[in-house]
Amino acid sequence: MSAMKIELDHVTVDYEEKNRSFTALKDVSFGVEDGEFVSIVGASGCGKSTLLSVLEGVYNRFTGSVSINGSPVNGAGTDRGVVFQHYSLFPWMTTRSNIAFGIRQVRKDLSKKERLALADEYLNKVGLAGYGGKYPSQLSGGMQQRAAIARALAMDTDILLMDEPFSAVDPKNRKELQELLLRLWEGEERNGRRKTVVFVTHDIDEAILLSDRIVVMTSHPGTVAEILSVPFARSGRGSHLREERSYSGFREKIMSIFRGEVYNRIGGEEVVI
Amino acid sequence: MTAKQRFLCPVHILFAIALAIVLIPGKGTDKYGVYLVGFLLILEALTLAVSAFVKKKPSLDVFLDIIGFLYVFLGGWTLATVKLKLLREALFPPFGTILHQFVEDRDKIAVNIASSVGIIIQGFLLAVVVAIPLGLVIASNLRAGNAATYITKFFSSIPPIVYIPYGIALLPTFRSVSVFVIFLASFWPVFASTMSGVMSVDKKVLDSAKVLNVSKPTMLFEILLPASLGQIFLGCNQGLSVSFILLTSAEMIGARDGMGYYVKNYSDFGDYTRTIVGLLVIGGVVIAVTFLVGRLQKFLLRWR
Repeated sequence: MSAMKIELDHVTVDYEEKNRSFTALKDVSFGVEDGEFVSIVGASGCGKSTLLSVLEGVYNRFTGSVSINGSPVNGAGTDRGVVFQHYSLFPWMTTRSNIAFGIRQVRKDLSKKERLALADEYLNKVGLAGYGGKYPSQLSGGMQQRAAIARALAMDTDILLMDEPFSAVDPKNRKELQELLLRLWEGEERNGRRKTVVFVTHDIDEAILLSDRIVVMTSHPGTVAEILSVPFARSGRGSHLREERSYSGFREKIMSIFRGEVYNRIGGEEVVI
Repeated sequence: MTAKQRFLCPVHILFAIALAIVLIPGKGTDKYGVYLVGFLLILEALTLAVSAFVKKKPSLDVFLDIIGFLYVFLGGWTLATVKLKLLREALFPPFGTILHQFVEDRDKIAVNIASSVGIIIQGFLLAVVVAIPLGLVIASNLRAGNAATYITKFFSSIPPIVYIPYGIALLPTFRSVSVFVIFLASFWPVFASTMSGVMSVDKKVLDSAKVLNVSKPTMLFEILLPASLGQIFLGCNQGLSVSFILLTSAEMIGARDGMGYYVKNYSDFGDYTRTIVGLLVIGGVVIAVTFLVGRLQKFLLRWR
């Protein structure tokens, strides 16, 4: 494989706590192509968030290598935009200032006025026109995540890293946010290419809806169990898809990987789940 | 709120009772009783104005209860002094006399307030300007922050008043010694609260800032400072209240100006009317400063 946007090679993370150490990630290797939407799915504690913080450049005590555009990751970079589950936005800045602050970190050439105008443009895109003067505490969880997405997009980075961005949002809003993210991702092209997205989630349906490929991770230690291409065309992923046989078949395939892991862990005895 | 809820309150009966107590003749002569009558009328006018404009019932209730307390206090004081002569007049002057003395001495009092508040502002601001940036820088380095926390614990456990003799040896004037001691008294709490604020900033907030690749100054002043501002205000309030205690004590010992001097000087001459005036004025000044700081805090933390 050539010209991978993101390349992980035997990434291993050992956490040291007071009197014990455990392996959060073991020999994780995979690549993400330019313009690809990849989800990482796994149960909580499988190291998927640790993996993402390695990509973010926030966590750097790992062995193995991580490269972006062919050069090794060294700390956080302005080529990556990040959306977290909580506190992506700074609570003391208004929504507009939060976005303008993000823009300032990557575009020092813009004047304050231009940054604020750009911020308003992106607030508009995520459906938050008129909320620019509000503080995050005055917005619902769903609106906060919209604003966080607006900031990540306004920074105009090649790569978008998302760490369970919709997990704390209620189901109705989650669906809207998923659709919004897809619409924006498909619409926002950069030099004729879509952004490369790495999306961490524990929701299998969410992963199938959004991704080109799904990295399935299992725990103890966190490893990549399998990487699957989503076999459904993006145009055919409407709400009717979930009723189809092929969908439940694919979903079952992912579930069986998790079940297999539990099965192995308790020693190969018969399990009823 | 209806007009009935606004204006039909027991506090107005208390006003009438207090006014009646002042006006009926008593055992003693109340030379400056007219000042108290004026004061009561001003209070009542204020009460009516506030009753007409306050929006929320609970905040009106609090205000009315405070005014009610004042009426009861003033009525009781008047009964116990000029009307029934239960208390010695030299130690417990009629309230009208206290008000008269306040009006008489207003220029002298203004000069003393200006002197006290000036020293406090100078020492306190100096402490804030040094302690906050220093606290941010040191605490943003985990190792330095841990060491500094222990060192701060040692220095802040020294009661600032014991710096006074050393300050006198070190510096030439009363004013410079006072500023120095207030600087020390405010520095440690503000410094300690800044550090504890920085060290308890949510890791998620720090990660958010890190992934944005912010520069060191941006991290210090646009992320860590606002994130720890709530804690910093705790230290500022603590520093301010210690400063007032310290300064008034110091003024009673060795000053020629200031509210502490005013109180001590007149009580030395047995002028307890002015002593009481001084006490009340100091209370008022501290309340006013606390109120302004509270307002500033509310404004700067409006995002919470």
